[in-house]
Amino acid sequence: MNRLIAPKFKQAQSLDIVFPEKNVADNGVEIYWLKEVKDESVKIDIEWNAGTKFQKKKLVAGFTNKLLLSGFASKTAQQIAEEIDFFGGYTNLELDKDHSTVNLYGLTENIESIFDLFSTAFLNVDFPESELRKEVEISKSNFNIDVEKVKVLCRRTFNQNLYGKNSAYGQLAVLDDFKQLNQSDLIEFYQNFYSTKPVIFITGNVDPEFIEKIKKWALNFNNEPHVLEKQNFEQHKGVLTIEKPDAIQSAIRIGRLMFDKNHPDYFSFQLLNTILGGYFGSRLMANIREDKGYTYGIGSGLAVLQDAAYFFVSTEVGKDVREETIDEVFNEFDILKKELVNDDELQKVKNYTLGEFLRQADGPLSQMEIFKNIYFNKLSRTYYQDYIRAIHTTTSEDLKRLAEKYLLKEAMLQVVAG
Amino acid sequence: MIDFEEFSLENGLKVIYHEDKTTPMAVVNLIYDVGARDEDEDRTGFAHLFEHLMFGGSKNIENFDAPLQMAGGECNAFTNNDITNYYDIIPADNIETAFWLESDRMLELAFTPKSLEVQRNVVVEEFKQRYLNQPYGDVWLLLRPLIYQKHPYKWPTIGKKIEHIEQATMQDVKDFFYKHYGPQNATLVVGGNISLNVVKDLAEKWFGDIPARPKPKRNLSPEPPQSEARSLEVERQVPSDAIYIAFRMGSRLSKEHYSGDLLSDILGRGKSSRLYQTLVTEKKMFSSVSAYISAGWEDGLIVVSGHLLKGVSLNDAEKEIWKVLETVCKSKIDDRELTKVKNKFKTSKVFSEQSLMNRVMNIAMFDKMGKLDKINDELAEYDTVSSQSLIDFATRVIKPSNSSTLKIKAKL
Repeated sequence: MNRLIAPKFKQAQSLDIVFPEKNVADNGVEIYWLKEVKDESVKIDIEWNAGTKFQKKKLVAGFTNKLLLSGFASKTAQQIAEEIDFFGGYTNLELDKDHSTVNLYGLTENIESIFDLFSTAFLNVDFPESELRKEVEISKSNFNIDVEKVKVLCRRTFNQNLYGKNSAYGQLAVLDDFKQLNQSDLIEFYQNFYSTKPVIFITGNVDPEFIEKIKKWALNFNNEPHVLEKQNFEQHKGVLTIEKPDAIQSAIRIGRLMFDKNHPDYFSFQLLNTILGGYFGSRLMANIREDKGYTYGIGSGLAVLQDAAYFFVSTEVGKDVREETIDEVFNEFDILKKELVNDDELQKVKNYTLGEFLRQADGPLSQMEIFKNIYFNKLSRTYYQDYIRAIHTTTSEDLKRLAEKYLLKEAMLQVVAG
Repeated sequence: MIDFEEFSLENGLKVIYHEDKTTPMAVVNLIYDVGARDEDEDRTGFAHLFEHLMFGGSKNIENFDAPLQMAGGECNAFTNNDITNYYDIIPADNIETAFWLESDRMLELAFTPKSLEVQRNVVVEEFKQRYLNQPYGDVWLLLRPLIYQKHPYKWPTIGKKIEHIEQATMQDVKDFFYKHYGPQNATLVVGGNISLNVVKDLAEKWFGDIPARPKPKRNLSPEPPQSEARSLEVERQVPSDAIYIAFRMGSRLSKEHYSGDLLSDILGRGKSSRLYQTLVTEKKMFSSVSAYISAGWEDGLIVVSGHLLKGVSLNDAEKEIWKVLETVCKSKIDDRELTKVKNKFKTSKVFSEQSLMNRVMNIAMFDKMGKLDKINDELAEYDTVSSQSLIDFATRVIKPSNSSTLKIKAKL
């Protein structure tokens, strides 16, 4: 044994993905069932096209989602929560710009009871005024806490100026918007969007009869999902600064609109992003954290939504070094444009990425997330094989070309808050 | 059910193996029996700073992360008041890389001045980002010394103050390493798609020649029982008032842990909990309430906290919290309510144990708690908690003379 020599290792070559079984209800609602689960856990995800981009009035999509289990004539929100809790169930209501999601968690022995309680509450909800007022007060309070955080201030301004404030994605709620919310807005949004066909994902070793039951339940939804007209984005380029005098750190976000997962440059750009700021050993981490000690963390990424995608670098640094940090970020862009990534670093990032795939696909819940990525981004079933092949074949010349093409300072929106 | 097998090397390193043939991955986890509780009072935050330095290169390997990433692996670590834990998640085929890296940094660190200088800065930025530049970020910096007057739980893992981190010297680093990072003070847990024989061979090969170093004795001053209500009120630049009430209770290793955990769920977990029902839904005084336990290994806390809505005074809010707490001691907890929190626990346990990482880390924790043989008894422990034992627990613990209250008044 020689401690100076690293042990031999292999490069991961393939990724085993178990695809869920597709079931279709009589009205066309799709139910994807992953039954290869070795314990009693069951997760049900129900997703509607009912994200914030569809709302005509700010906050309506969010509050409709938040209040989906807020009660009806004969049952309060409290009772619904207590009954689901009694069966050991967990519910989670989630919203992003595109989708509204209900997640139900439980064990096989109780999942049917949990689902029935959810179903009754969901189908009968009448959005009681008192629950709405309560949630508005809670959200206002949380909103006020949030906007004290430089990271949040920075992200808000970044989002608005990335998409443009006239686009559906670029809308930004302010405190006054909470006052405008009415019960009737929620009811209208619910009737309009939650009557449409959802997509249902079930991860768990449930009885086939349960799947039949879900297929029948799906007949409650007969309208086609809403589709938004193509949005027009107007990204701001250049620097925007939000001063917060009492802050001791500044949040920085630099980025631009980009292409989606079907673009031919996508795979290789992901590799370039990983080198720049996509993992702990990235150049930005090495420079800004491990060499200069300016920050606890810095990273970059590529975020893909239904109608847009963007690249971003984000960090929080001492206020006194924010200019230096921004200069160093662009400096790292320039190095990627001028110098070829050496073989050792390229190999490291390729191997790391392949290992990351294995980690991300580990376990049934992760496998379902992998499938959802394919489903919602309309990717081919061979997407991950294609991705792995592209990683193997990307060269340092490819990466330099991509850096020259996309990592352009003049194309970037830069936001500093703090 | 978590299965495992254990063996030891001659130098005193304990190794535990956990098989999982359904994953392509392996986890190598090293837990060291050292945490913020082992620090000097005038050198706090050191165990955590040291954790950062463990990534700054070791005797024979310049950089920890790069070779691991080269083998497709990823790593992280955390420090708390009780222990420090390091883990590597790597394709099972490449597990030897993790053995090589972890063993070399147990053998000896590189002790480079550059690493110390940079990590001091990184941790200072972490201190600012998480504890000073966030609304309510300094709560535990304030609350701990109010609750603990003798025991080292009186400071948080990040340290009492930034100055302590800035003052750390290379000699401190070396002393700490040789005192706390020997094989006898660690447990290696290896889990995943790999055989016991391979783990035995690799453990012997890479860790076998690390010299034994004496296991440090721990001699902490226990915190005397509390006998008077304590409180502190501060003004901060925060948008809304907040209140935190902490009660001393038994440690993670005591029977009280299970009662405390279930009682905190009854009080503050989710929308059907008593505090939420009364204070958020009915009285509309709070925007959020919660109750949780600290699960410290030496001493435990049950904490009730909440953010106030505008127009509600801190004193009224405090009174209303106490009214809810008093009902637990006075009235019966019915079977349905108790079954509810037990069922919730069961579901979350099944989901949590799906992850190989969580199982391996659990094994490491239970071993260092000295109750590895009890790792599969947790559900049964929760099941033995009865309505009467919860009321007894509440009567013992939930009282003003056992409480420390922190009120944060909004200056905005």
